[in-house]
Amino acid sequence: MLTPPPIGLYVHLPWCVQKCPYCDFNSHGQPRETPFEGYTDALLRDAETEAESLDGRTIGSIYIGGGTPSLFPPPTIDRLLTGLSRRLPLGTDCEITMEANPGTFELERFRAFRRTGVNRLSIGVQSFHAHHLRALGRIHGGGEAAQAAEAAREAGFERFNLDLMFALPGQTVTEAEADVARAIELGARHISHYQLTLEPGTAFHAQPPTLPDEDTAAAIQEACSARLAEAGLERYEVSAWSVPGEACRHNLTYWQFGDYLAIGAGAHGKISDAATGRIERYSKWRMPQQYMARAGGPEALAEHYPVVAEERPLEFAMNALRLTDGVPAAYLTARTGVTEDAFEPALSDAEAEGLIERRDGRVRPTERGLTFLNNTLGHFLPAT
Amino acid sequence: MPVQAIDHIRNFSIIAHIDHGKSTLADRFIQGAAALSNREMSEQVLDSMDLERERGITIKAQSVSLEYTARNGETYQLNFIDTPGHVDFSYEVSRSLYACEGALLLVDASQGVEAQSVANCYTAIEQDLEILPVLNKIDLPSAEPERVIQQIDEIIGLHANDVTSISAKTGQGIEELMEAIVHQIPAPQGEFDAPLKALIIDSWFDNYVGVVCLVRVFDGELKKGDRIRVMSTERQFQVSELGIFTPRKSNWDKLTTGRVGFVVAGIKDIDGAPVGDTLTHAAHPTETPVPGFKRVQPRVFAGLFPISSNDYEAFREALGKLRLNDASLAYEPESSDALGFGFRCGFLGMLHMEIIQERLEREYGLELITTAPTVVHEVLTRDGDILSIDNPSRLPSIGDIEEVREPIIRASILVPQDFIGNVIKLCEDKRGVQKDMQYVGNQISLEYEMPMGEVVLDFFDRLKSASRGYASFDYSFQRFQQGDLVRLDILVNNDRIDALSIIVHREHAEQKGRDITERLKDIIPRQMFEVPIQAAIGSKVIARSTVKAMRKNVTSKCYGGDMSRKKKLLEKQKEGKKRMKQVGKVDIPQDAFLAVLQVDSNK
Repeated sequence: MLTPPPIGLYVHLPWCVQKCPYCDFNSHGQPRETPFEGYTDALLRDAETEAESLDGRTIGSIYIGGGTPSLFPPPTIDRLLTGLSRRLPLGTDCEITMEANPGTFELERFRAFRRTGVNRLSIGVQSFHAHHLRALGRIHGGGEAAQAAEAAREAGFERFNLDLMFALPGQTVTEAEADVARAIELGARHISHYQLTLEPGTAFHAQPPTLPDEDTAAAIQEACSARLAEAGLERYEVSAWSVPGEACRHNLTYWQFGDYLAIGAGAHGKISDAATGRIERYSKWRMPQQYMARAGGPEALAEHYPVVAEERPLEFAMNALRLTDGVPAAYLTARTGVTEDAFEPALSDAEAEGLIERRDGRVRPTERGLTFLNNTLGHFLPAT
Repeated sequence: MPVQAIDHIRNFSIIAHIDHGKSTLADRFIQGAAALSNREMSEQVLDSMDLERERGITIKAQSVSLEYTARNGETYQLNFIDTPGHVDFSYEVSRSLYACEGALLLVDASQGVEAQSVANCYTAIEQDLEILPVLNKIDLPSAEPERVIQQIDEIIGLHANDVTSISAKTGQGIEELMEAIVHQIPAPQGEFDAPLKALIIDSWFDNYVGVVCLVRVFDGELKKGDRIRVMSTERQFQVSELGIFTPRKSNWDKLTTGRVGFVVAGIKDIDGAPVGDTLTHAAHPTETPVPGFKRVQPRVFAGLFPISSNDYEAFREALGKLRLNDASLAYEPESSDALGFGFRCGFLGMLHMEIIQERLEREYGLELITTAPTVVHEVLTRDGDILSIDNPSRLPSIGDIEEVREPIIRASILVPQDFIGNVIKLCEDKRGVQKDMQYVGNQISLEYEMPMGEVVLDFFDRLKSASRGYASFDYSFQRFQQGDLVRLDILVNNDRIDALSIIVHREHAEQKGRDITERLKDIIPRQMFEVPIQAAIGSKVIARSTVKAMRKNVTSKCYGGDMSRKKKLLEKQKEGKKRMKQVGKVDIPQDAFLAVLQVDSNK
C-alpha cells in the first residue's frame, strides 16, 4: 500500500555569474538585468499551484538550489521565504538549505541570508587549491574557499555543508587529502565529497580534460574516506559525509524515496498519490523566461509522467541503496505501492552476490554493493 | 531471338580483378545488344545481390545471351558467361572458363595487372582459350596505357597490337571490342550426333521451379522432355524447361551443340546439380564426362553463434535458405561451453565466410558471434585412424595423436620490387617455403607453399599493408602435410574458453599465447574481481596476463531531480552486458572471440 511519504520543496534559482565547464544543472549566465523580483513572483505563483499536491502533509525541508542562489539579494530571498510560508504549511523544524558560492560578494551576505530564515548553507568550495579551482572554471580562489566556512559560522549558521570534488585534472592523492583535511579543520560537520565526472552537454564533455585514471581516482577516494572517518564523519550516502545526526534532511527525503514539490525553471518534482496509487514525476520549463511566463498557470509543466509499477523497484533502489544504512524494509512497499515480491528476484540475486543485506528490518547495500552500486542496481532493471 | 548456326555463336568470359570494371562492361554489352529497355536496365544487371554490388564483386555467376549484328551484316549470338571474382572461387572460375572458347582479360589502365587476374588468365590459357586483352578506364586522367600494355606483355605474354582500349563507363571502344569478340574468338565445336555431354557451369535454387542449371552443351543436344542423368550422382531427372537468358528468361525447345543456356529438371536441391558435373541422356549416356569435376570442399571453418539463444531456430532456417543456393556452404550444429548453441560453418575461404556472415546479419537480422576461422586438420591417431578436425577444441588429447597434418596451399603473389623484402619476410613469418621467384618487368612474381592455417587468419590484410596495397594474391590447395602442431588453449578466470582454442605450430605457440593473453587483457573489461588470463598447451601454462579488478562502479552524484539520465546509464550498462557472453562469472565481449585474429594485425 502506497502511503503518503514525507515531502520537501525544491526551489530552483537558475542564474550564475558564469557557467562552470563541468556543470550539468540547469544554469544560465546572468543577464545584465536579472529579473530577481519577477522570477520570485513566478515562484510564488508556482508554489500556490503546487500546494494542491500536499494532501495534508507539511513541508519538512526546503532546498534552494541553482544556479547560484546566493546571487539573489537577501531581501528577495526574504520575500520568497515569507511568501512560501504563507502558501505552504512548513513543518515546525523545517530545514531550509541554500546553495552559496564562496566568493567575496556572497560571504558578506551570509548574515543577511541567515536572517531570512535560511538555516543551512551548502557551499560550493570544490577545492582549496587555486590551480584546481581555475581548471574547474570556478570564479573564487582558495583563500575565499577557506573564509567561507568561517563566514558561515559567524553569520550564525550552525549547519553548513562544504562541497568537495575529487579526481580533478592532474590531482594527486596528497592534494585531495589536503582538501579534505582543510574542510575538516574549518569545522565542516557535513561534507559532500564527490568525484568529477564528465556529463553530456557540458563544456568538459565536449573538450575533456585529462582526468586521473581509475586506479588513482580510487586511491584518492580511499585516502580521503580514511581522513573523513578519522575526523568522526560518517559516510551516510555514496558521496555524503556528516557527523551523526547532521545528515541533510532534504536529500534524505530523495534517497528514502520521499516526495518533493518543485518550483523554478527546470525543477523536477515527484508526487505520490495514496488514493489512486499513482506516483508521478514532473518538471518545469527550463528557460527562465519560459518558466516565468507559464508559472502558476495550466502550462507550467514541461513534462509529467507516471512512474509505472514495473519501474518502481529500480527507481526505489537507485535512491535507497545509495544510503549506507539503506532503508527500513517496510519502505519497499509503503513508498512504491508495489509488493515486496515485485522486488524479486533482484533482492535475492543481489543478496546472493553479497551486494545487499536484509537485516534488523532494513535493506541496505553491503560495502561491496555500494562500491559497485551500478552492478547492484543492474539487478533491479526491469526485464526487456 | 532467331536461332543462329553454331559458327555464329561466341562463348566468352571476362577475367578481371575486383573493381576493374567487369560489371560495367557487361552492362555495356547488354545495352549494345539492346537486350533490355532502358527502364529494365537497372545498373549492373549481372550482380543481382546488393551485397555483391557493394563489394563490387560477383559471387554467383550469371550468364547472358546477346544478339549482335556485326559490321559484316551477320548476326551473332554472344554468350557471356559471368565468373565470380575472388580467390575463394577459383574452381567455379575454372568451370566457367571451361565453357568458353575465349576470354577478355580486362585490366584497369591505371591499376595494371593483379595476381588474381594472372592466375585466372593462366587457367584460361591452359584450357586453350583465346585471350583478348582489354584496357579499361582509358578515359581516366590517371590511365597509363603504355605501362599497362607492357606489363600485360611481360607478365602474360600477350602483345600490344592485340590490345583493345575501351571505357566501359563512356562506351568508348565497345563496338571495336564486340567486333574483336566476333572475329577473334573461335566458334564452338562439337559433335551434333554424339551422345549428350553438357557441363554444369553453375546452379542455383529458384523457389518456383527448384534448381536451375546453367549449362554448356559440348556434344549432342538437350531437348525439353529429355530424361537426363547427372553423371557424378547417377541420379535421373526429366527436363521440364530450358532456354537462354537475354537476360530475361526465354524458353526454347532445345539447346544444341555449342550453346549455353539454362535447364530446369525437377532437381530438388543444389547438391543434385554440382558445379562442374556433366549432364547426359539417361538412355544414351556419353562415355566420358567433361574433365575437371571436383566436389567443393569447405576449407575454412568457424563457429557462428547467435548472441541471443532465442535466435537459434531462426539461424538454422537462415543457413538452410542460404545453403539452397550455395553448395559450398557447410554447417552442422555445434555447442560451445562459452558461446552456447550455434553452428560450425564451413566456407571456401575468408571472403566467402565474410559474405555469408554479412548476409546472415543483414538479410536475416541475426546478431552473431563468430569465432576465429580455422582450417581442417587431419589427425592420424595412435590407432591408425585418420580424423578430419574442423574445430580445434575437438582435437584428440596429445596421447592419442600420432601426427597432425595441416593443409598446405600454393600462393601466387605479384608484388612491385620495392616491397619484395616486406613480402618475403611476411611469407617466412607465415612458415612459407619459396618455390619460385621471377622478375616480370618491375614486378616480381612469387610462388610460396604455405600452411593454409596461417593464411586464413590475416595474411591478406598483412600482405596489403606490407606492400602499401600493391601486392596481389591468389592461392590453390595443394595437400595435407605433417607438422609440429599443438592446440593452444585460453583460460579466462581458470575456465578454458573452448571457442578460443587454436591449433598453432609449436614454435609459434609461446609468442601467440603472449599476444593473445595481452590482447584479451585489453578487450575484457574490468570486472568486480581480478581475472587471470592464461594460454596453455595441455596443462602447461605458457603465458598469462591479468585483468585487474574494477575499483568501483557507482555514480558519484545523484540528487532527486532527473532520474531518467541515470536510468539510461544503467540500461546502457545492461545492454552492453547483454552483448557480452558470460563465461563462468566473467562477461566477455564479442571482440574477444576474434582476439586471435587481431594480435597479428596490430603488430
